[in-house]
Amino acid sequence: MRNGLLAVGVALALGWLGSGGLRWFDAALAGYLLGTLFAIFGTVYRYSVWLRRPPTARLSRRGWEALRRGGWPAVKQLLGLGVSNLAAQTFIRERSSSRWVAHQLVFWGCVIAAAITFPLTFGWLHFESVGDDATRYRAFVGPLATIAFDARGAFGWLVFHGLDVAAILVLGGVFLFLGRRVRDPGAIAVERSTDFLALAGLFAVSVTGLMLTVSTLWMGGRFYTFLTTTHALTVILGLMYLPFGKLFHVFQRPANLGVQLYRAAGDAGPQQQCSECAAPFASVLQMGDLKDVLPQVGFDYALPAGGSWQDVCPACRRRVITQAQAGRVGGFR
Amino acid sequence: MSPLARRDEKVFVIDQSRCIGCKACVQACAECGTHRGHSMIHLEFADRGASTQTVPMVCMHCADPTCAEVCPADAIKQNEDGIVQSALKPRCIACASCVLACPFGVPKLMVEMNQMMKCDMCYDRTSLDLAPMCASVCPSQALWFGTREEFADARPGVLIDEFLFGRQSVRTKVLTVAREDGPLDVASGRTARAWQDDPFGLEESAWPGNAR
Amino acid sequence: MATLPLAEEELVARFGPHLNRQPPGGWNAGLDIDREVPTHCCFCGQQCGIVLKVKDERVVGFEPRYDFPFNEGKLCPKGVKRYLQGSHPDRLLAPLERDPADPAGFRQISWETALERTAAEIRRIQAAYGPNAFAMLSGVSLTNEKSYLVGKFARLALGTANLDYNGRLCMVSAGAANKKALGIDRASNPWSDIRLADVVFIAGANVAECAPITTSYVWQARDRGAKLIVADPRVTPLARTADVFLGLRPGTDSALMGAILNVLIARDWLDHAFIAAHTEDFEEAARAVADHTPQWAAGVCGVPAARIEQAAELWGTSRTGMLLHARGIEHHTKGVENVLSCINLGLATGKYGKPGCGVTTITGQGNGQGGREQGHKCDQLPGNRDITNPEHRAHVASVWGCDESEIPGKGLTAQEIVNAIHAGEIKGLLSICFNPAVSLPDTSFTAAALDKLEFYAVIEFFLSETAQHADVVLPGSLHEEDEGTSTTVEGRVVKINAAIKPPGEARLDWQILVDLAHRLGRGQYFPYGSTEEIFTELRRASHGGTADYGGITWQRVVDEQGVFWPCPSEGHPGTERLYEGGRFYTPSGRAKFHPVRWRPPAEEIDDAYPIWLTTGRVVSQYLSGTQTRRIGPLVEQYPEPLCEMHPQLAARLGVADGDLVRVRSRRGEITLPAAVVATIRPDTVFIPYHWPGRQAANQLTQRALDPISKIPEYKVSAVAIERLGPGRGTTDARDMSLEGTPA
Repeated sequence: MRNGLLAVGVALALGWLGSGGLRWFDAALAGYLLGTLFAIFGTVYRYSVWLRRPPTARLSRRGWEALRRGGWPAVKQLLGLGVSNLAAQTFIRERSSSRWVAHQLVFWGCVIAAAITFPLTFGWLHFESVGDDATRYRAFVGPLATIAFDARGAFGWLVFHGLDVAAILVLGGVFLFLGRRVRDPGAIAVERSTDFLALAGLFAVSVTGLMLTVSTLWMGGRFYTFLTTTHALTVILGLMYLPFGKLFHVFQRPANLGVQLYRAAGDAGPQQQCSECAAPFASVLQMGDLKDVLPQVGFDYALPAGGSWQDVCPACRRRVITQAQAGRVGGFR
Repeated sequence: MSPLARRDEKVFVIDQSRCIGCKACVQACAECGTHRGHSMIHLEFADRGASTQTVPMVCMHCADPTCAEVCPADAIKQNEDGIVQSALKPRCIACASCVLACPFGVPKLMVEMNQMMKCDMCYDRTSLDLAPMCASVCPSQALWFGTREEFADARPGVLIDEFLFGRQSVRTKVLTVAREDGPLDVASGRTARAWQDDPFGLEESAWPGNAR
Repeated sequence: MATLPLAEEELVARFGPHLNRQPPGGWNAGLDIDREVPTHCCFCGQQCGIVLKVKDERVVGFEPRYDFPFNEGKLCPKGVKRYLQGSHPDRLLAPLERDPADPAGFRQISWETALERTAAEIRRIQAAYGPNAFAMLSGVSLTNEKSYLVGKFARLALGTANLDYNGRLCMVSAGAANKKALGIDRASNPWSDIRLADVVFIAGANVAECAPITTSYVWQARDRGAKLIVADPRVTPLARTADVFLGLRPGTDSALMGAILNVLIARDWLDHAFIAAHTEDFEEAARAVADHTPQWAAGVCGVPAARIEQAAELWGTSRTGMLLHARGIEHHTKGVENVLSCINLGLATGKYGKPGCGVTTITGQGNGQGGREQGHKCDQLPGNRDITNPEHRAHVASVWGCDESEIPGKGLTAQEIVNAIHAGEIKGLLSICFNPAVSLPDTSFTAAALDKLEFYAVIEFFLSETAQHADVVLPGSLHEEDEGTSTTVEGRVVKINAAIKPPGEARLDWQILVDLAHRLGRGQYFPYGSTEEIFTELRRASHGGTADYGGITWQRVVDEQGVFWPCPSEGHPGTERLYEGGRFYTPSGRAKFHPVRWRPPAEEIDDAYPIWLTTGRVVSQYLSGTQTRRIGPLVEQYPEPLCEMHPQLAARLGVADGDLVRVRSRRGEITLPAAVVATIRPDTVFIPYHWPGRQAANQLTQRALDPISKIPEYKVSAVAIERLGPGRGTTDARDMSLEGTPA
């Protein structure tokens, strides 16, 4: 709770500073600001709760430890993993290439949208027209004037239609995902209601946003007010959903990078040998952490003869159970 | 009886002792809709040098799943019907904690996919009351799916839903079979029939064929 | 000119075996299929029901067929992955002609050219060397309709006596023994009878791997309290759970069975009333085993005498019992005697014609039962009729509408045909569904024989190792591309349904044969418009024979989930259990005991070749592997042959688990990894036979034949073994390879 409030405070302060004491703050975006603040609060709150779970806390600590001890090579590794796992998301391609395409579309759509809207909302980014020419604009980051451009040029088009591009990318991804969910009985079986809700939310935000452009360009601005309200509503609802729904994985996923460093650190250290077959099967580091965490979450796998059931490798666990069962049935071997 | 079980509910029974190691289950598992192309069931020889005993293992679907409790990403969910699902794809961070913690040695870490996958009792089938792929095809019916009544009518033995690992008791949705009631203690050791100690009579006292 | 057009490696590079691992479109293609087709698995005699899933006219997956009573959805790994044989990159899609100048070794030709050349070569060879110089080889993975058609085609279109089939390598010993003793060649019981047996005696059958679904029947009996006896040189997966295990030396089955009969007589565990009322010649059989005491057999078989007595007691004192045997006792120069010695045990204890009682073979091939009844054996006409019997010939001639004299006489058996090719007596060959280059013993001899053919045409769906020798390759149809019937291990006639049409220019097998018959000027005998019309004629041809299909229609087969023959009329319910009321099919109506005294195998171990070799199968492969060696997941389950040997033998040879060893016999040698396992006799090694060329176990086996059934002695050879060096991994490491990513 405290972390959440703190984060909201920090966000507000940054907004104040970035917008020059609200000088460049766009009052029309106030609703969005409230939604964003709620999302920040919720996300940080939930993240903190998540981090307090014993296994998560242990892993988080180990991840940072691995980064600190790893020095520059670990940082380099982290950057590489950031590119492959967070940006390119190659691991999703291993699951399925169509899923990967869909996820990339949604991901980059959302990244573009966030890169445009959050700075606008907080007033960090605003545009001013240059001179009397209504077609020339200059972009300001806080108080700093940056490039000027022609709104009718390619760059200008991109700047003002960035959100439309984002929406189209997201919609493409959403339809691919939906297609999978409709065609694949396996996906339908493990469908969770939140899966659909997330897609519905992305769909609503993208479509209402695109309709704004459609209204401006081809409908002479008809329904514009209605559409802005609808769009604002979907976005605000979406922002409020963010910390509690499926999309929260956006914030969890980077933990995977810490895991990779942790596992690399484990691999470099001593290995746990199976107490049955003597083959190494995991790092001593990770097995030690696991054996610390198990009692914290209510399990006691200590064996009467000493040691722990987790000292047995997974394959030997299966074997020993089978042999015990065979003994209880009739004595086959 | 498992707290999860209803009277008319179909149960999954694994009787490892009668497995013939044919791997029909392994091959069929990869045809399951929720994880096509990936086989989630485990099957290997216990000790091929000594015996043809094989070790099949499906997810036992613990009432209180160790895998879910140790998951740092909170990615392993149990359905209302007691089925423990594969790690949620968006959440799983591929740390392998579940793989190393599971007392039955069940979850598999798919390294390239950055994801833990495991047997979900063919959720696409069982949720429609169809038998899972492995239990459908199993020629020896070491893997079996049906009601408790059907089992009692067809087969001897008692269905067991409790395992003991030292002091830790684990209750499971998937059942195993034993001659008498009582939790299966994994440390209970192994017994063997007389001939299996010496299948070819090599150590039996003098008999004509043993000279060669 | 039937030598290989290119080096074998080059042919393999073009025509496979390549591995098909995924359904068409890949695993993620989704499963919104167009239709489901109920049919049967093609990969063994049990003919399990299966549902094939079809999308865009390709087979993309399977679903268990719960409604078929034999297997109720159960399948072995071959059944699960059988669908991967379709849409295969190796599938032959157009006729080919041997062309050493072509980079592929074969060039594509039109059907017209292919069939005209084949017909012309047949005419040329028969004109020059006589009609019997052109032979035909067939197989019992074919449907009843195709088996019947092949028999008729060879006799009336080719006019050759030399037609035989690969069932000759399968269960002919059982067939011959059954006919001699019981007057009919069919499983004695429906498999549901196994459930009712108080003792199940499995002799020479690796049920878990070669007839996996039968395992469930054995367990259902045991769940009722039945005892299990297993006689095998190896502790097979099912033998592991047996009550009595008889780990006998290869080639000593009739000694073991003789000793059991000896004990039954000595302890008077006999059914005197049954023997008196329903059998003959018991005294002769008893006299023959008078000296086959358990103590004597212990020496011959290498099994403790006490265990033989235990087995005899279980068999003799149980009210009901089933004895199941397979290739383990049939692949011998005394295969027929071995089966007769088993039949003697059934007759002596009255275990015939009653629920839970019977002695039966477990047929191996897809249509092993039906295929051996429809007249494509060298000595047989449809309905399991005798080609030398004038009445039988007259009946079949009347159905075929030909003069009886047009039907040739008895021809050579499969191995004898290859021998005759080698000797230059047979010059031309047409084959379908038979891969002798892998499946016949002494592979170097077979390859040399094929090289000597002046002309060889083959009907195939993949270019098998034998088809590599062909002058003309006619692309035929896969199991799922044609309809028809087959007859299961139980004697149950079932319906095979076509899921899809043959791809490319490939054609239905029966249409190829009919077309060829027309080109040979014999079209008038082959007026078929559909597969069902062939079956209708088959019913008439078989009617009145022992294998009487007269009352079986396709519709009945579908409606009744199969019909058991004999079924002489449409009102007849079919015959599930044979011999009820002690009525046998011999002329006297009585079953006949045969005196069986053990005699040694054709080859015995000596100082030069001091180790017994026995061969067999693994669960993931089917026969010569033409289909299953092309299915990735099955190949990965057991990728290459291993030489199983006991730790004691391994220690003597200095061999560790996974080491490469060279196994030599008087015929040839093979280099392969050793699997050091305590589940095989210390004096015996085992090698599975599914692989070709330098991996072929049949490089070591010999062409010694049973004098009656002419089955080769695959199960007994003498070999020498030496260690070559370390191999690539241990048995357990190999086993893990299918497991995917380890933890």
